[in-house]
Amino acid sequence: MNTYDIIIVGAGPGGSSAARVAAEKGLKTIFFERGRKPGEKNSSGCGLGPRMFRDFPDMMKGLTPEKCPSMRAGSAARCYFINEQDTVAGYLMSRPTESVSYEPAKSWITMNCYRSEFDPWIAEIATNAGAELKNSTLIVNLLKENGKICGVVDEHGEKYKAPIVIGADGAISMVAKQSGLRTKWSQDQITATLQYDFKAPPGKIDDIMGDETLAVWWSATFPASYQVFFNDGFHQGLGNWLNKWEKNPLYYLNKVINLKYYQRLLRILEAEPRELQSHLLPWLEYPYNTHTDGVILIGDAGGFPCPLEAEGIYPAMVTGKIAAEVAADAITSNDVSKNKLSKFDEIWQTTSLGDDFEAGEELYNIWKAMPFSPKETMTWFIPMLMEALGGIYDWSQPHPKRVRQIAAKIKSYMPQALPFMMKYVFPLVAKIFEDDLDDMMNPQKLMTALPKVMEMLPKKKKRRRGT
Amino acid sequence: MEIQRDGLTKHVPGTGDFIKIDQSKCNGCGLCAKICIVNLWGIKDNVAFIRDDYKENCLECGNCYQVCEPGAIDFSYPAGGTGVVYEQG
Repeated sequence: MNTYDIIIVGAGPGGSSAARVAAEKGLKTIFFERGRKPGEKNSSGCGLGPRMFRDFPDMMKGLTPEKCPSMRAGSAARCYFINEQDTVAGYLMSRPTESVSYEPAKSWITMNCYRSEFDPWIAEIATNAGAELKNSTLIVNLLKENGKICGVVDEHGEKYKAPIVIGADGAISMVAKQSGLRTKWSQDQITATLQYDFKAPPGKIDDIMGDETLAVWWSATFPASYQVFFNDGFHQGLGNWLNKWEKNPLYYLNKVINLKYYQRLLRILEAEPRELQSHLLPWLEYPYNTHTDGVILIGDAGGFPCPLEAEGIYPAMVTGKIAAEVAADAITSNDVSKNKLSKFDEIWQTTSLGDDFEAGEELYNIWKAMPFSPKETMTWFIPMLMEALGGIYDWSQPHPKRVRQIAAKIKSYMPQALPFMMKYVFPLVAKIFEDDLDDMMNPQKLMTALPKVMEMLPKKKKRRRGT
Repeated sequence: MEIQRDGLTKHVPGTGDFIKIDQSKCNGCGLCAKICIVNLWGIKDNVAFIRDDYKENCLECGNCYQVCEPGAIDFSYPAGGTGVVYEQG
């Protein structure tokens, strides 16, 4: 029998973060990876935000291009807007704005790197701290004594014993299932996400994309597609909840690739497809059932990806760290009960992750109803937005007439836009600003005011000079 | 342009069986066939089947397991150190 203080199933960023903290606290720690090395089973390239470097400073300063050659940081992001005719109707490039308050975040938005480099690097920090990493090992069950969880069993029947098991084993979590915390996600709690990796010469990426680090392709014919640039390549991917696919997911991803604009981009970047990847990504309103007697779930296994954009690395590392701290305290006080481990929820809820989930339901709802409902929403949203952004570029009419045409067209989208705003936008705004918007949230007041405002828009004009 | 999938995925052999279908539970809805990125599933006589060569092609995403409402698909991961490898994930 192999006996430990703490067992961590999974050596992704969450598992390694937990393993490192546990080892530093003097716990005899083991963590398991089913791949030959951490990261080789993972396909969600890291877009690491400044918050990673703010909250894990001593660790992140060690991340260098020598350790992680795919690293690429940048300060610009682009939104492309694709209409129902599969035409790029416009795009918007933006940089950090004047309201950004954290100094480093003024000069870059994300640092991107491949998981095949990032995950081994962070696992090494944990092993350097004294944690034992067992690669190429699939954990197939929890070890139980008198109904109490007391360790894990690997695929060869080898047993490992510890009073606490951390489930860091991803979307389809054996630990969640065998501990009774969750049998399966429901179809509206998890997304199927797939992506191509393209290789491209670093010089081409720099010349053509400048310091752009990511792009989102918002579309009326496929769910929003993300593009993330690394040193010598990029990901193009998309996802949607399991119950929202009308056709095979690859059909939609190929629609992105087959945009005329995209084909041109591939040509000038001299890009070639290099890998096809697919994974499940939990995306829910609020994490629940995160712990029970002797078990804590972290990262994707616990449903922690950010409710706005489903980024999962940072939430996994935050929850991993907290889980290890709570576990260490529980072990010291010889109490690993569910009640004792509820400290885990209490603590993560006070972090920036907890702040994000405070508006989790509203973020989740609007996101699901908008970029991930291309047919229902984006078919009117994109032309409406493009009227506002680009409608003025028409030199066939007098400009005032053109403005009236644009206003009339925008007004014509209001039967779709107003109910959407009522249902999704105002609840989110109200959630974020809390009490300040009570009046705005009063549907009666709103409904009496809005039509009047809309009525005022395109009216028959008065002539400035006498008739 | 159709991107050719050949050569875009890498696998280490020796996975063992890691996807099983209980055909008595299958209701023939076909969601597994619709959701699989690499088209490993088919429907015959109103019952789902998985291709014989799935072990060399599966991306281990678990889409089929997750989408199956009647719970007819049992998914575990391949033996440690085998199966799909992502070099640029």
